[in-house]
This record gives sequence, C-alpha cells and structure tokens, in this order.
Amino acid sequence: MVHRSAEVAVAAIKQNFNLPELGIALLGAAMSLPCIMLDAQAETAPEKGTLSFKYLNYKERQQVTGQAGNSSGWTDSQSGASAYDDRVRVKATASSVLLPLNSDWSLSGTLVTDSVSGASPAYHTQALSGLKDFRRAMDTSLTRYLPNGKLALGLGYSGENDYISRAVSLLATQASEDKNTTWTAGVGFQRDLINPANQMVVGEKKRGADWLLGVTQVVSMNDIVQFNLGYYNGRGYFSDPYKIYDERPKRREHQTFQARWNHHFSELSGTSRLAYRYYTDTWGIRSHTLDTEWVQRLGSDWRITPQLRLYSQNAARFFVEVDPRIAPFPPSPLPNALHFSEDQRLSAFGAITLGLKVTRQLSLDTSMDVKVEQYGQKAAWKFTGAGSQGLAPFYARSIQVGFTHSF
Amino acid sequence: MCAKVLMLMSLLALQACSHIQPVAAWQKGNLALPEMTFDDDPLERGFKEHTYTSKEASSGGSSVGGGGCGCN
Amino acid sequence: MASADTSLSVFRFPFKAMGSACEVVLAAHSEIEAQSQVQMAKTEVMRIERKYSRYISDSIVTKVNQNAGLAPVACDDETWALFQYASKLHAQSGGLFDITSGALRQAWNFKTAELPSSDKLEALRVKLGWQKVSLQNRQITLPIAGMEIDLGGFGKEYAADRAAQVLQGQGVTSGYVNLAGDMRFLGPKPSGEPWMIGIQDPRQTDQVIATLPMTSGGLATSGDYERYFELDGQRYCHVLNPLTGWPVKHWRTVSVTAPATVVAGCTSTMAMLMEEDGLAFLQATGFDFLAIDCKGKVYVRQ
Repeated sequence: MVHRSAEVAVAAIKQNFNLPELGIALLGAAMSLPCIMLDAQAETAPEKGTLSFKYLNYKERQQVTGQAGNSSGWTDSQSGASAYDDRVRVKATASSVLLPLNSDWSLSGTLVTDSVSGASPAYHTQALSGLKDFRRAMDTSLTRYLPNGKLALGLGYSGENDYISRAVSLLATQASEDKNTTWTAGVGFQRDLINPANQMVVGEKKRGADWLLGVTQVVSMNDIVQFNLGYYNGRGYFSDPYKIYDERPKRREHQTFQARWNHHFSELSGTSRLAYRYYTDTWGIRSHTLDTEWVQRLGSDWRITPQLRLYSQNAARFFVEVDPRIAPFPPSPLPNALHFSEDQRLSAFGAITLGLKVTRQLSLDTSMDVKVEQYGQKAAWKFTGAGSQGLAPFYARSIQVGFTHSF
Repeated sequence: MCAKVLMLMSLLALQACSHIQPVAAWQKGNLALPEMTFDDDPLERGFKEHTYTSKEASSGGSSVGGGGCGCN
Repeated sequence: MASADTSLSVFRFPFKAMGSACEVVLAAHSEIEAQSQVQMAKTEVMRIERKYSRYISDSIVTKVNQNAGLAPVACDDETWALFQYASKLHAQSGGLFDITSGALRQAWNFKTAELPSSDKLEALRVKLGWQKVSLQNRQITLPIAGMEIDLGGFGKEYAADRAAQVLQGQGVTSGYVNLAGDMRFLGPKPSGEPWMIGIQDPRQTDQVIATLPMTSGGLATSGDYERYFELDGQRYCHVLNPLTGWPVKHWRTVSVTAPATVVAGCTSTMAMLMEEDGLAFLQATGFDFLAIDCKGKVYVRQ
C-alpha cells in the first residue's frame, strides 16, 4: 500500500483525470482507501487553460585578450578599468497560452520578444562591434488527443531586422495500454532568409529538417527515463556575415543522442534530474552535455532547485585557431582553405553553468518562479584534451522571473 | 553513427528492464509531480535552448521545430 | 485492447449478498477458470459484509454501535481508512453525508407506513452528527448512547471496487461486478464493445429509462424507490437528511459514473441529499450523470 501526501495524490489525479476541482477533491478523498484501483484514463485535452509569462535578463562579459597569447585581462593604467568587455545584453519576454478547445483538441501559442544590445566579436573575441536588435518570434500548435496519444501540428515564425525564420513541425506520441511506455516521433522543417545589415550578402537562404525519435519509460513508482535520438540536415547559408573571416560549408548535418532520468526520493521530498546529451556533426564538432538538477520541496508551496550543467565541445574542422605570434590580430585562413571561421562558438572549450531556481505555488492554479544562473566558458574546461588556445574566457549571468496561471 | 549506437544500447537496456514490475495507474502519484515530468516549464526550456545555441555549437536533443534565429 | 479474443466466453454468476441480488459477469476461457475467479471476488464481498454490516453481530460496526456512550473501539488500517473517508465526505457535503444517520432507523421503519412524531425526531437529534464522533489514535468513540453508524452509504460501492480489484489481480480484463445496482467495470466485452447497462425507471421499476455504455470505472445509482413507503400521495424514501431527520424529496433517481464506484456512489447520494442544489453539485464534479427529479424531468451530462 502506498501512503502518499495530499499534494502528491492531487497531482496524480490531476494528471490522470481531467476533472474540475470538485471532482478532483472527491477522487482525492477516495485515494486513501486501500487499493481502490483507479483505471488509467485515455489522454484528453487538459480541463483548464494555462497562461504563462517569463522575463529574462541576460548579460555577457568577456575578458579582452592582453599580451600575445596571454588571455589574462589587462588594466588600463589611467582609468583603472579592467578589460572585461560587456558583450551581449538581452532582455526577453515570453508569453504563452494553452487553450483546451474541447475534450479532444487544444491550441497553444507562444510569443517571444528579444531585445538584444551590446557587442559581438568580429573575430575570435576581438573587435567587438556594436549591435542592437529586436526579435519577435511566434509559435502556435494545434494538438489532437487520441485514445493513447496525441498529434501536434506546429507553426513558427521568427523575425529580426536581418533574419527571418519560418518553421512547421509535426509531433506524434503513442503510449502503451498501461501508459508506462510512450513513443515519440517528430519532424520539423525550417526555412530561413538572411539579409544582414552590413549587406555582406543579400537574400541568402537556409533550409533544414530535423527528426526526432524518443521513448519514455516508467521504471518504478519513483523512476522515469527517456531516450531521444535526433537528426538534422540543413542546406544553405550557415556563415556569419558579421564576422571578418567566415566562410562555412553550405551543408550541415548533426545527430544527437540524449538520455534522461528523474528519480524521486520520497523520504526527502526531493527529486534528482539527470540528462546527458551526445552531439556530433559534419563540421567535425562533437560535444557532451551533462545537466543535473535537484528539486527540493519545502512544505507544500515551495520548491528550490540548484542546477549544474557541464559542457564540452571540440572545434569545427575549419575553425581557425588564434595565432599567438600575431595575436590579437586575426590570422588569415590558409590560402587554399575552402571553409574557415573564427567564431568562438566553433572553437574547443568547456563550459559550466551554476543555477538556482525557486518556485512558489501561490494557489492551486497559480505559481511564480525566479531563477539565477551563472555561465562560464573556458578553453581549459574542455573535458579531455586541450581547448582552443588564446581565447578569452567568457561569462554570462542571467535572471529569469516567471508566472503561470490555470483558468 | 555513435549516436545511433548509444540509442540501440539504450533500447536494449529498456528491453532488459521489461522484467520490471509495471506501475499501475493508482501508484503513479509521485510520477505526476511536475519535477518528475520532462517538460514542466516550456518557457524556461525555450530560453535555455535559445541562449545555449547562441554561444555553443550544439543544438537539439529533445524537441523539433522551433524557428531559428540569426545566431548562425 | 488490440483485437477481440474469440476464445473468451462471457459467464454470469448471480449470488446474494448485503441483502440484495448481486452478480459477477466476466469473460474467461473456460467456466472453471471463471468460477475460480468469481469465487475470490465473492469471498471479498462476503468479507466486507461480515466486517461492516450493522446487522451482523460480530461486525466492527455493531461493536462500535454497542460501545456508544461507553468506550472507544480500536480500528485496523482498513476501518480507519473508511472512517477517514467518511470524515472527508462529511466535510465536503457540508454535513449532509453523515454516517451517524444510522440512528434515524430508530424513527423511520420503512416496513410500516408511519411518520415519526416530532418528539421522537427531536429526541434523536442529539444522537446525530459526525462532528461529535471522536477519531483519535486509531480509535473511534461515539460519545452518546444510542448513536449509530451505518456504512450503508458507501459499503456496497466499496465492496464493488474491492471485488473488481481482486478480479483484476486475477487477470480479468472484461466484465463487471454488480452489487444491487452499484457496479464496477473491468473492461469492455471481448468483442471490444461496451456493456450496455439499463438504468431502472424509478416509477416503473421493471422498465429501463436509459441505457449507458460502460467499459471501465464505476456506476452507482441512488433512488427513492429502493426502500420507501407512500402516505397520502407522498413518497418517503430511505435517503434521510441528518440535519432535518426527514427523507429527501427532490430527486427520484441519480446515477453517476466515476473512476471508482465508491466515488460514484457518494456523489449520487450527496446529490440526492442536496435536493435542488444537487444539480449544480453534479455539474461541478465533472462526472457523467443521469438524474430525474420529482416531476420526472431528466437531466444528463455525458
């Protein structure tokens, strides 16, 4: 016999039965009776709609490389300012709404606006050029609920002054009779149009398709695992027109494998969440991502979640490493090189993120959350082997505040 | 190729795990907690994916679609 | 439920329990297999009847009632859980669902068509009220002599759920348990089609007023036609309001389907007790229901 706390019982009923509050309360009262055996229900549209909002404030900074090859910062002897250059600053807001249309259909929409300002390096980490941009992205999705699964059609649009992206996607899930195994398959197509402000190129296009196959398995009352396999194939313009030496292949394919495991520790009212992702692509980049979280419940209203993410990647085949002899000036790519890039994103490095999220349940239908995160990216932190030399560490901090309400 | 091998190994592991006791509907209390699901905060995931793809080379993992952005 | 298993036959096993006609209907590969499965279900029903019937001398309910005004009675896990459930129902119904209304049988005897005197009902008032009952340290105490608890409000429904759980444990995936109209379903017919269950017409009890397709969950019906008497053209039924002491009048019958029979039964009883307010209550639960009021008007949600 399982003894459950009240909020766990209510959570179980809410997930398995789409009922208004009174129905949930009446079922919840019966949950304490010995083994009263509630059947798994077919999946239907949620009983309630949801409105969510989140605000992100993100700020990057990076040491500017000093002496040749030496990536420690220098101090301006006159002003005393240290050479941490502020790179990008982002303020973003995201709003989403989920509307059940009837018991078989639901509609959801998300609107994201980013305002980006600050500096972006023109090569490696140098010659930061100012940028100011505003992006608006909209996504909408229509879901049809079937006896043991669902089908979702999504449309997306993202626009900024130099980049427009359109996407369509289809996602299908199918669960076993006892709902312990769920298969997921998805496909998405994107078409992008690039018209950079500096007019380095005009009317460039990029098209891509990505595919997903996944399985989620309930292993025990306190364990659930998920495996995902992803594949992406893109053609078109991948280069960054704002970078000085940047000529990337016109094709990119990548494959990902992801494994996730959530484990609930009843006695501690805590849950561990682990995720590992392996990534490999045709540009020669391989990466490992390890995400770990611990969700600690405090009372019935609070959750506190410390987070740690470890990341490591190697450089793209065509990444042009810093030449310590002429640093900080960008080295010219090899004369016979077909592809080259000095974008730090394609270099070899490791990254660590430390985060803390606090969630407060304000009522049965409403909750608020606050999250702070600190990110650091350093060549020396690459898991194995040496990172790209001569690149300055890069840091970012972000704060997120969110709110969600069911109606 | 390596990704496919890992997936195959995981599926075999899952198959081996089919000896595990199936969990009945009335035992799924803990599994229904939001922290036990895999996508309880889609807006947070959206911000996370977007910021990481703008400073790292990798992308993808558990979702499809989603419009791109000018962070080539 | 991928495809129909043509080797399954449906077997029906009627029996008597809890003072009423009961039956188990299930699909099995052979009669012998079916018989052994049903025997276990019947054993569970009998166990609950022996333990909780107030008409059986060594049941826990009889023991609690005999100790009213005397001493606390210790409860095992199952009994304690049932009393906790009764407490929650009492709270959720604003005191209308009250298992201490068992004392009202001292005033209402449905075998003779006689209304109790107001003195008699007034005297009973002190013996009613779950809020007076003490539940502590796994012990129940009825503080006043003459207080009586009666689990008739959800006993049959609970037994139906438990019997169905026994059958499910035996691997039964097609069939149902029917205890005098309180039913729990284990899965559709072997062909995949639902069981078509007729709801009794409250005024022409040999006729069916509606048919409900059922495959899983519970179905329970409360009505004013199970035990009643009529006097001067007015019907007095066995569903008694513990706050007034009088039978309810607004509904002729209320049938509810819910994931568990015990929930369906308590919901239908609460709707009867709430009289006119019962309709809004039924709608707010989200459960499907069929209700017929005293004028014969039918209300449905599916």
